[in-house]
Amino acid sequence: MSDPYLDDAPEGRFQLRFLRQLGPFVRPYRRAFAACLALLFVSFALEMLGPWLLRLAIDGPMRGGDGPGADRMGVLVWYGLGFLGTTAGGAVLGYVYGLLTAWNGQRVIRDVRRHLFGHLLGTSLSFHEKNPAGKLTTRVTSDVENLNELIATGVLQSVFDLLKIGGVLVVLFFLDVELAVFTVATTPVVVLLSVLFRRNAQRAYRSVRTRLALQNAYTAELIGGVRTTRAFGREDAVTRRYAERNGDTATSWRETVFHFSVFFSLVDLSLRATTVGLLWFGGSAVLEGTMQPGQFVQFWLYFGLLSGPVKELGEKYNVLQAAFASCERVFQLLGEPRFPPPNPNAVRTERRGAAKIEFDGVGFAYVPGTPVLEHISFTALPGQTIAIVGPTGAGKTTMLSLIARLRDVTSGAVRLDGVDVRDLDPSSLRSRIASVDQDVFLFTGTVLDNVRLFDRTIDEARVWKAIETVGALAFVRQLPQGLSTQVEERGGTFSQGERQLLAFARALVVEPDLLVLDEATSSIDSESEARLQFALEASLRGRTAIVVAHRLSTVRRADRILVLEKGGIAEAGTHRELMDRRGIYAGMVGHVEAVP
Amino acid sequence: MLFLLSWLRSIARAFARPAALLRRHMGLVVVGTLLIPVHAAVSLWMPRLLGDTLDRLKDGGTADSLRDTCWLLLALAVVEAGSRYVSRRTLIDASRHVEEDLKNDVIAHLQRLPIAWYDRSRTGDVVSRLTQDVELVRFVMGPLLLHGGSTLCLLPAGLWLMMGMDLPVTLASFGVFGLLFVAMRVLVPRLHAWSKKSQEAIAEISQRAHEDFAGIRVVQQFGAATRERAAMATKNRRYLLVNLRAVRLRALLNATSHSTSGVVMLGVLLVGGHQVIAGKITIGQLFQFTGYLALLTFPLEILGWTLATLPRAYAAGIRIAEIFEVAPETAAGSTPALRGHLRVTGLTFTYPGASRPALADVSFELEPGRKLGLVGPVGSGKSTLLALLMRFYDPPRGTVFVDGHDVLDLAPHCLRRLFALASQEPFLFSDTVAANVAFALDASQATAVDAAVEAAALDQDLPQLREGLSTIVGERGVTLSGGQKQRVALARALLSERPGLLLDDTISAVDPVTERRILNGLEQERRGRTMLIASHRLSVLTAADLILVLENGRVRERGDHDSLLAERGLYASAFRRQSEAAALESLPEEGA
Repeated sequence: MSDPYLDDAPEGRFQLRFLRQLGPFVRPYRRAFAACLALLFVSFALEMLGPWLLRLAIDGPMRGGDGPGADRMGVLVWYGLGFLGTTAGGAVLGYVYGLLTAWNGQRVIRDVRRHLFGHLLGTSLSFHEKNPAGKLTTRVTSDVENLNELIATGVLQSVFDLLKIGGVLVVLFFLDVELAVFTVATTPVVVLLSVLFRRNAQRAYRSVRTRLALQNAYTAELIGGVRTTRAFGREDAVTRRYAERNGDTATSWRETVFHFSVFFSLVDLSLRATTVGLLWFGGSAVLEGTMQPGQFVQFWLYFGLLSGPVKELGEKYNVLQAAFASCERVFQLLGEPRFPPPNPNAVRTERRGAAKIEFDGVGFAYVPGTPVLEHISFTALPGQTIAIVGPTGAGKTTMLSLIARLRDVTSGAVRLDGVDVRDLDPSSLRSRIASVDQDVFLFTGTVLDNVRLFDRTIDEARVWKAIETVGALAFVRQLPQGLSTQVEERGGTFSQGERQLLAFARALVVEPDLLVLDEATSSIDSESEARLQFALEASLRGRTAIVVAHRLSTVRRADRILVLEKGGIAEAGTHRELMDRRGIYAGMVGHVEAVP
Repeated sequence: MLFLLSWLRSIARAFARPAALLRRHMGLVVVGTLLIPVHAAVSLWMPRLLGDTLDRLKDGGTADSLRDTCWLLLALAVVEAGSRYVSRRTLIDASRHVEEDLKNDVIAHLQRLPIAWYDRSRTGDVVSRLTQDVELVRFVMGPLLLHGGSTLCLLPAGLWLMMGMDLPVTLASFGVFGLLFVAMRVLVPRLHAWSKKSQEAIAEISQRAHEDFAGIRVVQQFGAATRERAAMATKNRRYLLVNLRAVRLRALLNATSHSTSGVVMLGVLLVGGHQVIAGKITIGQLFQFTGYLALLTFPLEILGWTLATLPRAYAAGIRIAEIFEVAPETAAGSTPALRGHLRVTGLTFTYPGASRPALADVSFELEPGRKLGLVGPVGSGKSTLLALLMRFYDPPRGTVFVDGHDVLDLAPHCLRRLFALASQEPFLFSDTVAANVAFALDASQATAVDAAVEAAALDQDLPQLREGLSTIVGERGVTLSGGQKQRVALARALLSERPGLLLDDTISAVDPVTERRILNGLEQERRGRTMLIASHRLSVLTAADLILVLENGRVRERGDHDSLLAERGLYASAFRRQSEAAALESLPEEGA
């Protein structure tokens, strides 16, 4: 309701391709849908039976006819029981129908949601960078929810409403042609009214939704930003601003109330007018003796059956429109290609202790024509540590993301044990690599969940072992509930150093052959600094590692150092070699050593 | 008796405020309410007319009288529709007005509540009181006015008319309606309970999905996608099951209300038919009777729903009342002109409800125009100290003085005019960059936006933003990087023209070159401003007059940059480490 992402699409319109796209999701439940349709027809028949029984009762026992009162009463009881049968049958069928449609709808949308969520997890990193998490979440929750209206009740019910109108009209014609012609003649008025109402009410309703979303978002901002407001003494200003937005929404609401009131009043009025007309024509017919009173009452009651579906169709349209818009957005996301693209010839790669990684003339560009990386070539032999240094924006982090194929190179190749990573099965490739990011993402859950990333096949003993290896044992033990401590609000209570410590454990618990590491820059408390040093040492031992280094101690122990500048390798070699060269690297280190 | 009194009192607690607001729109309420009896009278007249006409048709009426009746019916239909339209609009409008006013009142009150209250409250909860709860009160109020009024008029009148025709049929019909009410009373609250569970289940799905998308890098890198899919499937299944329960109740409710009208109809047919056969009433009267029933069914059903929703509306009313019952922070205190001489002596501060003090025995003194640096790990008390200077919390008496006044004796807004605060994770409103920068000022005063933007080194980002300063940021607009947000907050603080500046790790996400630029700019722009800078990044503090190194709320080291380096303690080792990282990240030409 207050979601800013619900409205960023053109007006929903029905498109034939929706049916084709929804097809695969609906097909598994087609029998149940068919049952729903059958139920609708049966309950329609029951509903039509009621007035007929009533007519028989009136024209039969009630109006006299033959036999003494007791006999007539007996006949009446039979009609009564028949009526009870239709009512009870209608109620039971209605109940079953309600359950079945919901059962169908809920299952279909569960399947759509599951599919959409899985699909989005497999789309490219650049897609996710363009689409904020909040927006995608709205698609998976609210938009999929809107589909329910379409699948469960919307289409079926609307088709049925149309059928019902048609069916009643047929019966009316059967009963009395003249009266039926008169009734049909007045329906265009009602239809015209509905169309007019629909257009206006939709516009008003749309503006309500947009304004309400805006207002509710602002509400959340005022609560979240209360410290800012307070700090600058802007309480009155924001209250006024809120009142303006609130007023806008209220105005729009009142507009919809206006349109709804007008619509309902006019529809009621035109139905009433038709009724009066019926009375006039029908009454005249009865007076002339060309029609039985019971028949007239029956016609009357059947006519009454029309008003429900007519009104409903008008209201349903709003809901359906929102559903169509959601449909459009959901299928648009499902059309997003998967990354990495499926490759039937991909081969699995097996763990073998330490990996060899090779960059061969690698180039990468986010935007074609403006390369971020160019001609990057180097080899890390099994067990070696490669350190990367260079200014911010030189492409260091991008380089790391090419290894586990979070992105694909634009030119050249990255090879793992001699095989181009694009020829490898992505899940087997990623299972050999672990990464530690500079800004560690922690999930809501326990510390245990975060270390093993919700993988229950990794038991607590292995988690403890990883924690011990990275030297985080003391840190985890002093947490209020140890491993079961809840991580709140993305780990806001942990310092950057502590988060990275957990990330080291997260990386080591999967025992990777290759470690991709972005060293944390700042950590003011000496305790976690010492721990991080220890964790780093432990993690690099016996493993191939590519490290974006921020510490002199890390570069010193690296087997090879790459100095990255403007997307290319400016210098490469060991610490000794580069120092002797007195180039860029030597300058950097000299600068460090000048610090007291 | 006592019980009744306390019950009334709690009802008043929940609904007194909405009722008072309704009084503001008395005109609408009066017009709407006055038309209800008109509508009711017409509605009740029509079945009667129809019934009579039917009887006359049977007993050989004339075409003339039939025509007259038809005209009369048409006229009545117009009156019916017209009165309905007006009463619906006025009464529903009135409830919308109450909603609007109530929301405004809540927001105005919230803006005055102490920050400590916000610490205890969850944003989502407060927002839901302001949206869902207020809307629920309105949702009950509108129909209650409209249909409650209708029922009040229709029910006794209809009942009277019906009983005049046939007592047993009337009683039987209403007995059945009574059962419907009971069924609703039982089923509706259960339905609400399951709906709530369903909302919780979808909220869980939403939260997990949001995290997986936000942390997609980790999810993909560690091949956790399959696992997350499975976890999601479990949550999805739970949601499905809960929803099916809710659906079952809803279907049951629908079936009940449908079969109720069916059963009533049956009763009328059997008993009424018997009467017709016995010659006690006419077919027309029977028809009229069913007309009354049809008339009453709709308002009764709506009323049933509304009454069944009443407990929830009551709970919502109480939750709204709770907000109004929280006392606002004090606005009282002296408002002298402040220069900004700061003296903190033996300041120990514990957050309400916390077991450990956030600050312990902190003392320092700062002359106006001087620069203080605060250093320390997360949770060491830096932000707390700044929050106390903004009087977001009350320090103990006799610990924090500005120009010799204890801050407890100063009006909070006066103190807040002394300092501008910019924090590490600043809050930006979903508005243009310019509006965010000029947040502290009214539109007419915001003339120096460009200068502030330049001083905060935000100008270098403007070309990247599609519409420069007019670009909308936040949820509905462009997502800024952490560093960009920080610089917007810095520009906002600079433009506010406060004599003091509190920077709470404000440029932590800014690259080193820009950091240098900002620091140089700040020095020039400072013009004698007092500055308190909390920072992880020590390079920011080298020029500070005094640096406090905090750990667990205590001052561990103090002095200026050079003396702290000479001390070779915490500060010195951290500084060395950070210089290393900086050097490895910058080319020598730039680092020099």
